[in-house]
Amino acid sequence: MKLTRRNFIAAVIGGIAGIQATPLPWKFTDDVAIWTQNWPWVPVPPTGEFSEVTSVCNLCPGGCGIVVKKVDDRAVKIEGRTDYPINPGGICPVGMGGLQLLYDESLRFTGPMKRVGLRGEGLFTEISWGEAFDMLAGRISTQRRKGAPEAVAAIDGSPEGTTVSELVKRLMRAVGSPNYVRPPSICDTYRMGNLLMQGTLSPMAYDLENSDFVLSFGCGLLEGWGAPGRVMNAWGMWHQGNPAKRKTRIVQVESRASNTASKADIWVAPRPGTDGALALGIAHVIIKSGKYDARFVSDHSWGFEDWRSMDGTRHTGFKTVVLEKYSPEKVAEITGVEPKTIVSLARAFAGAKAPVAIYGKGKDSLNGSLYEYMAVQSLNALVGSINRPGGVLLPDPLPLSNFPPMKVDSVAVGGLRKPRLDQAGTMRYPFSDSLINNFTDAINRAPRSPVDTLMVFSANPFFTLPDGGGFKKALEKIPFIVSFSPYRDETANMADLILPDSTYLEKMDDTVWPVGLQYPLYGLSQPVVEPLYNTKNVGDTVIELSRAIDDSVGSSFPWESFEEALKERAKGLFEAGEGLVSYDAGTPAWQRGGDRDKPGYSSFDEMWEAMKEGGMWYRPVGSPRDWQGLFNTPSKKFEFTSKLLVQAIADYSKGQSEKKALKDMGLSAPADEACMAHYEAPETTADRSEYPFLMLPYEMINLASGWIPSPPFLYKTIFENQLLKDKSFATVNPATAAKANLRQGDLVCIESQAGKVEARINLFEGAMPGIVYLPLGFGHTAYDEFLKGKGVNPNNVVQAGQDPISGYPVWWNTPVKLVKV
Amino acid sequence: MKKENDHGKHKYGMVIDIDKCTGCGTCMVACAAENNVSVRADQSDKERTITWMRLYKISNGKPFPHTEISYIPRPCMHCDHHPPCVSVCVATATKLDFNTGIVSQIYTRCIGCRYCQAACPYGARYFNWWDAYFPKKKGLDRYLTPEVSPRMRGVVEKCTFCHHRFMRAKTVAYAEDRREIEEDEYITACTEACPAQAITFGDLNNPDHEVARLIKHPFTFRLLERIGTEPKVYYHSSRDWVRKLADNFLPGEYTPVVNQTWAEEEWSTKPGRDEF
Repeated sequence: MKLTRRNFIAAVIGGIAGIQATPLPWKFTDDVAIWTQNWPWVPVPPTGEFSEVTSVCNLCPGGCGIVVKKVDDRAVKIEGRTDYPINPGGICPVGMGGLQLLYDESLRFTGPMKRVGLRGEGLFTEISWGEAFDMLAGRISTQRRKGAPEAVAAIDGSPEGTTVSELVKRLMRAVGSPNYVRPPSICDTYRMGNLLMQGTLSPMAYDLENSDFVLSFGCGLLEGWGAPGRVMNAWGMWHQGNPAKRKTRIVQVESRASNTASKADIWVAPRPGTDGALALGIAHVIIKSGKYDARFVSDHSWGFEDWRSMDGTRHTGFKTVVLEKYSPEKVAEITGVEPKTIVSLARAFAGAKAPVAIYGKGKDSLNGSLYEYMAVQSLNALVGSINRPGGVLLPDPLPLSNFPPMKVDSVAVGGLRKPRLDQAGTMRYPFSDSLINNFTDAINRAPRSPVDTLMVFSANPFFTLPDGGGFKKALEKIPFIVSFSPYRDETANMADLILPDSTYLEKMDDTVWPVGLQYPLYGLSQPVVEPLYNTKNVGDTVIELSRAIDDSVGSSFPWESFEEALKERAKGLFEAGEGLVSYDAGTPAWQRGGDRDKPGYSSFDEMWEAMKEGGMWYRPVGSPRDWQGLFNTPSKKFEFTSKLLVQAIADYSKGQSEKKALKDMGLSAPADEACMAHYEAPETTADRSEYPFLMLPYEMINLASGWIPSPPFLYKTIFENQLLKDKSFATVNPATAAKANLRQGDLVCIESQAGKVEARINLFEGAMPGIVYLPLGFGHTAYDEFLKGKGVNPNNVVQAGQDPISGYPVWWNTPVKLVKV
Repeated sequence: MKKENDHGKHKYGMVIDIDKCTGCGTCMVACAAENNVSVRADQSDKERTITWMRLYKISNGKPFPHTEISYIPRPCMHCDHHPPCVSVCVATATKLDFNTGIVSQIYTRCIGCRYCQAACPYGARYFNWWDAYFPKKKGLDRYLTPEVSPRMRGVVEKCTFCHHRFMRAKTVAYAEDRREIEEDEYITACTEACPAQAITFGDLNNPDHEVARLIKHPFTFRLLERIGTEPKVYYHSSRDWVRKLADNFLPGEYTPVVNQTWAEEEWSTKPGRDEF
């Protein structure tokens, strides 16, 4: 039949009419509805017996209590515990999404592996645990046989004082290497400052819940500082009830309108890196108006007034220096904060009943500046807020038992005598424990890497170190890298051998004194599910590894399992007596007085079982401590002028001029001033006319920026002006953007002397003019499609200077330029 | 319809204290984890991303250093008076339950016309452009809870006030030979998760419940209150600029609440909260 216009139309119309008469379309529509709702790939979650397991979240050092809901063997939901002292019910978004870190197989190593692809490619093949131990132990034994055990190095990111970190330290000692390095955290700054001014070694203890005026210098209270569950609970408490009658005021000192700054009652915005100067300006007003706590200053402090040394030389004290150099007008010049704000702030702070000045830099996972911290702590001393309810408490360290003494063989003794690669603890950096940036430099500078084997525990320095990509270069030079990470992170992808840890929901582990908590707490997490894959608790791995190396190293690890090592340390908790192992939400642990249960255990085993069940040992906050013997400084008092620093500078100046010595240590102030809190302008080698802006990395509570990957859930909470497709945003003030001729959404290249990254522009009035803010946590080059290749990592641009004396990286002062792409 | 509902015994609702809200996003994560909401590789296209509970960031728009941001967590408002989505649903897939005040969503009835999504003034409804994303090789389906069924593509979904938790509480109560549930027996996942206790959930009809007391406070407001849908989600803020952003006020239309707190001292960097 010939196709004509006429019979074509007839056929089409006929067809349409015909189909209406059949049941076909109706049946078909119905079927489509059924089919489209029943795809085999839409999962039908199996049901089963519902149960709950209580544990402690180990994703950050905060250690909040969690309860995991289970259906048969599957964990289906994480919730906060109401019977845990830190976080009465709430947890942070990272902890809430934790199940994805357990169950997302493509984020994890499923067993011990060795590298088959190029470094960084992430191609591995599974091997047995026996093979893995043989490979690593063989490598370490070879170094020991060569008499060079110091070429074995470890980077350990597990929080200081945890049993895992103690075991790794012990392993390094037994092997004979001094090169045990930790990524810097704010705790290092606290530790050093407290050692210099108070002579104490306990963790930082801010009595926030009992304070009525919290003056926070850079502490990201709502960005994840400390134990987020605790701080945000306190935040809720502070804002409970009638706003006009609230007890606690919160002041945030920060250059950007962060969540904390916005939600605080008052926001003060000094230029980045000038917090110390602002604190001293406040001190100036307090001293000048005589509003300081004269009793504390005269009875319990030293170095406030001018003093004479043994040889009769007159030295200036804190008071003189502060009165001379930190008038509100001068401080205003440094910080950009108006003099009247400084005066009012000082009045309000000194006038409060229980004020506390707290120090931080965003979350607690990056270090701060020693002198800034000392300036803030001087404020606490001035108003007598040290060892006073609502201020800074000075509790004893956790009474954990020490491991038994160990025998170090002759090879190890030889190795331990060698200098540390990072120079920490030398005369130049007398108070530092470890300086990872120096460690990196030492490797990068040497023609051949002085490190033969690098072991990485609970850390992802490739991604997290603010060093402009220096660590990555160092990794490329190291012949053999071993990662113990459960996750396929950037550092692990560079490794030659993987001995994967189990994730925090599959193993027993401990948390030690969450950052900033005002009472001692030891948390014990439980396996919530059986290990899903062929992974091993890193504590057990270290014990087994020691035995695989040789008998001499193995003899320092007398424990059958990691749990035994945990138990051994916990014995000290029992011997200390009085610690509680259960918690009643009716009497918060920070509340003084009130009826509390008695410990309720009579033997160590009973206590241990109760701890395993409850997940904690703690001692509620008590009355202030006796002043006698409280400060363990040379003067036995709180030292505005640190005698240890006086000594350290004198020691370092031996054989050279004092001026040169001070300059070497990064100081521009004269010697007297260098021994107390003072302001040092951060230095840079960059030409500021070429690099006119400053880049400041910032942290968010809803994005993990440490070694733990972000649970993919968190990307739901990221705003479209923080991440769009694969581009993250640099936040700048509209005035700054106008100067550089940039609009919202423009793609720019942010370039420093260390490197460059591409990001989009986000205009925000709350950004300080002249500063480019880049969020930390984006820009992964590892993991899976949820996290990989999203945004840029500001650490790649950071050009870190060195903090005077401490040597920690100054990551908040990177000059950059913006080039429109 | 409103009348009928008033005769309902319970009217569940929520008060979110924006002063306490820290913008951390735990509510969003808790909601997605509780309700088997899947995560796709790209979550940055907010018109395609499913977030039953969503945070909106607002700013007072003042220049540096007087800028202030805040967050408005937005679940489904569970409108009490002619919920716009219910009126337009051709498939009776969404309904206002008069006994609880919960606006339900029945996925198997939904034909995916998205009228409700267009009708909702709060953007609280989400269309499944794809099937729930739980690739087998990843094993992410292992954390799914059997209490909430994962959705298929082509249907609309939204916050249900964790209705399954209500059912669970009811079951427990019935097993114990009770007919009523206590205030703390039924709360939503976001309420439970909030680390700052910013969310309070309960029966607005029950004067003993905290929410019934909170909604009477002068600082309490609702979003787009003037369109008259009577949302059962209330907000609470001591900041006038936050309350003012809750609706599209014409100049002079907004009446500030007298709001003199100590934070208004003259040296405060956040002055002028009352200037509206």
